[in-house]
Amino acid sequence: MRITCPFCGERELGEFTYLGDAKPQRPVADAGEEAVYDYVYLRDNVAGVMAENWYHGGGCRAWLKVTRNTLTHEISSVEPAAGAGAAKVGA
Amino acid sequence: MAEFSWDVRSPIDRALVAGAYGARGDAGVSLTEIRNFDLVQVMARRGKAADVAKAAKARFGIAAPETPKAVGTADATLIWSGPDQFLVLSKDGRHTMDTLAPVFAGSASLSDQSHARALISISGDKARAMLAKLSSIDLHPDVFAVGAAAATSMDHTSVTLWRGPDRADGQAVFNLLAFATFAESLWHTVLDSAAEYGVTIGYSEDL
Repeated sequence: MRITCPFCGERELGEFTYLGDAKPQRPVADAGEEAVYDYVYLRDNVAGVMAENWYHGGGCRAWLKVTRNTLTHEISSVEPAAGAGAAKVGA
Repeated sequence: MAEFSWDVRSPIDRALVAGAYGARGDAGVSLTEIRNFDLVQVMARRGKAADVAKAAKARFGIAAPETPKAVGTADATLIWSGPDQFLVLSKDGRHTMDTLAPVFAGSASLSDQSHARALISISGDKARAMLAKLSSIDLHPDVFAVGAAAATSMDHTSVTLWRGPDRADGQAVFNLLAFATFAESLWHTVLDSAAEYGVTIGYSEDL
């Protein structure tokens, strides 16, 4: 499997680290125990297209949001995660 | 109180043996360690990338690379090292933390890497063949031209690789920056890869 880093270009899998599901959002401070429990422990076990966080630690050290099909490994998009590069914050 | 004295040595001082190595005959690979350089990492602060670009242009007279490239200025090389960050490589105290801090005050965070990296210059007929064993980067001249750079990994070690100006005899030159504490291990790996082609090993104080 190869990932096309938006900063570096196409690179082998060994340069990247998988950081898990990109979907969960940290709940607001007063969201309650249920929401926090969900956020910390509960994950969808997606068979299909999934948004994932990957870290290009063996390259430019940017965080990436990768849309990947877990059945076929087909990658449909790779974007810088929010905060990857000072200019791209909030992107 | 005990007196301390610090002896500045190359990270691969113990491993580097100048001379010939590997297969006999004309050496296919030439390895030169560059010693005593100044290296400063410049990382733009949040939302300040445009300010950094402006400050770099004013300081170096040329734009800092915004894509994986290395550009030569009158007295330094600016090497892309990631989004909104680059390395300033120079000699003889021309660009140090002290001189760059006022230039990027408020716009970038600087980090002195001068003694944190080892720099190895690789050339020779078989340089690409040797590097192909260690790297998945396409180093074909059509793809990796003079000034191309990559933040990548070799032998599970993060490196900064870039192609410098060709040698006088037209040979391509690949520069490899590796973390100081990983450099000895990587050096042995490089030697193992290069041995079959014959190697000339040396070191230099010149960039």
